[in-house]
Amino acid sequence: MNLFRSVPSIPRVARFSALMGATALVAGCATVNNPNPDDPWESYNRSMFAFNDTVDQAFLKPIASGYDALTPQPVQSCIHNIFGNIGDVWSGLNSFLQGRGHDFVNTLGRVLFNTTMGLGGCIDVASMNGAHKIPNDFGVTLGVWGMESGPYVVLPFLGSSSVRDTTGTVGALAAGISPVTPVFEIDNIPLRNSIVGLYIVDTRASLLDADKLVNEVALDRYSFIRDAYIQRRKAQVDSRRQGTELPDYSDDDLPDYTDPEAPDSNASTPSAPAAAPAQ
Amino acid sequence: MLNAFSLMSSSPAFSRRRRASLTAACLIAAASFVPAVALAQKPVDAKGSPSDFVQTVADNVLEVIKRDEAVKSGDLTRINAIVNEYVLPYVNLEKTTRLAAGRYWRQATPKQQQELVQAFKGTLIRTYSGAFTRVTPQSSLSLLPFHGDAKAKDVVVRSSLSQGNGPSVGIDYRLENTSQGWKIYDLNVEGIWLIQNYRNQFAQQISQNGVDGLIAALNQNNR
Repeated sequence: MNLFRSVPSIPRVARFSALMGATALVAGCATVNNPNPDDPWESYNRSMFAFNDTVDQAFLKPIASGYDALTPQPVQSCIHNIFGNIGDVWSGLNSFLQGRGHDFVNTLGRVLFNTTMGLGGCIDVASMNGAHKIPNDFGVTLGVWGMESGPYVVLPFLGSSSVRDTTGTVGALAAGISPVTPVFEIDNIPLRNSIVGLYIVDTRASLLDADKLVNEVALDRYSFIRDAYIQRRKAQVDSRRQGTELPDYSDDDLPDYTDPEAPDSNASTPSAPAAAPAQ
Repeated sequence: MLNAFSLMSSSPAFSRRRRASLTAACLIAAASFVPAVALAQKPVDAKGSPSDFVQTVADNVLEVIKRDEAVKSGDLTRINAIVNEYVLPYVNLEKTTRLAAGRYWRQATPKQQQELVQAFKGTLIRTYSGAFTRVTPQSSLSLLPFHGDAKAKDVVVRSSLSQGNGPSVGIDYRLENTSQGWKIYDLNVEGIWLIQNYRNQFAQQISQNGVDGLIAALNQNNR
């Protein structure tokens, strides 16, 4: 039932994105000066990044900034927490799928506590009592199950992703399970669309600070966001693949920077692996 | 709000008396405050265990920020001063910059290298100044159990920064044991290593515009 109801919306989204994607492609692919092995589709990705940026600057960011400026902070955090609470159900399910019983139970406890004591998720009472959010999603689950991330890809509207994470997103949507699925169960169309709109605005507003930071510190926003995304997703999967709460640090968990120019004080072991052996 | 109302409605004489007593209270508070600040700073032992080293440095910085209103309002000059006094002595910024530049470092003249380190320092201060302004009285750094060999030359200390009003943030520090003791040279926030995140951007800039181009780009952001 769930499946049937959410299916019609997917082709529409797909058609729309395909159209927009084509628009970006027609606009021409960017030239790549520094090819990166992790990003073989950089030329397409940069075009899509520029396209997303245009959409963002024209519509999303102004709306989100207005929302951020006009809505009182307690209302904003209430709305953010309610969506977060629904998202927690999905995070918890993924922790379960990854065999992380402890995270699953903790997240389940968070949802129950926040839904009741936190007035339907409006107040994140669980975090206030030390039960912090454990973010998780299906892309990480696929990674834990052994799927490689594949090349980096920028999706229309959704932004940074990888082949694996796109599979995760699309797979979850097709299966009718995702953080926004409950919203699509609402029969009242205007209400449903308003909630989806609010969800998008809330998500964008929560990124305003990060966005400002990237604008201030990045030399190249595309590279900065790409490298941060790749690193973060790898870290999320790696920390769960270890099977323990505290991953052992072995050499390959740390980025290896070759440092041929090290001053004499370090020259005794110039090519020694940088990291300390665990234990 | 209520306080402001009661102050406004009170008679001038009363308010004068009140202001005088307030000033006195402030003076007493200030007098007792100064030694407290001095006492709160723990001496940093760079030759001890890496975990204690990180904990002390972080505690000292948090302590200073919590008491500083200028930092909370995002005053970059003040943040710069705090970073210079409480952070930089324990950081090997030259190594951070050198590793971020990778194989291009040797293309730079000593003068360019110096300029690059200074320019990158400006970028890093802007990166973390936002985090400084979000420090709350509840902010505290707790170390996760240390899994490395404390006698190694290169170790990672993992920690978690709790802010009181939001999710805690995972921060890892990468340290090197130098002749002057431990020095931090890389930082990982929520799975993202600082140096790693700048390597491609540095390479891109240098290959297109040379070392001077990179310095100019960093400084342009700094302005």
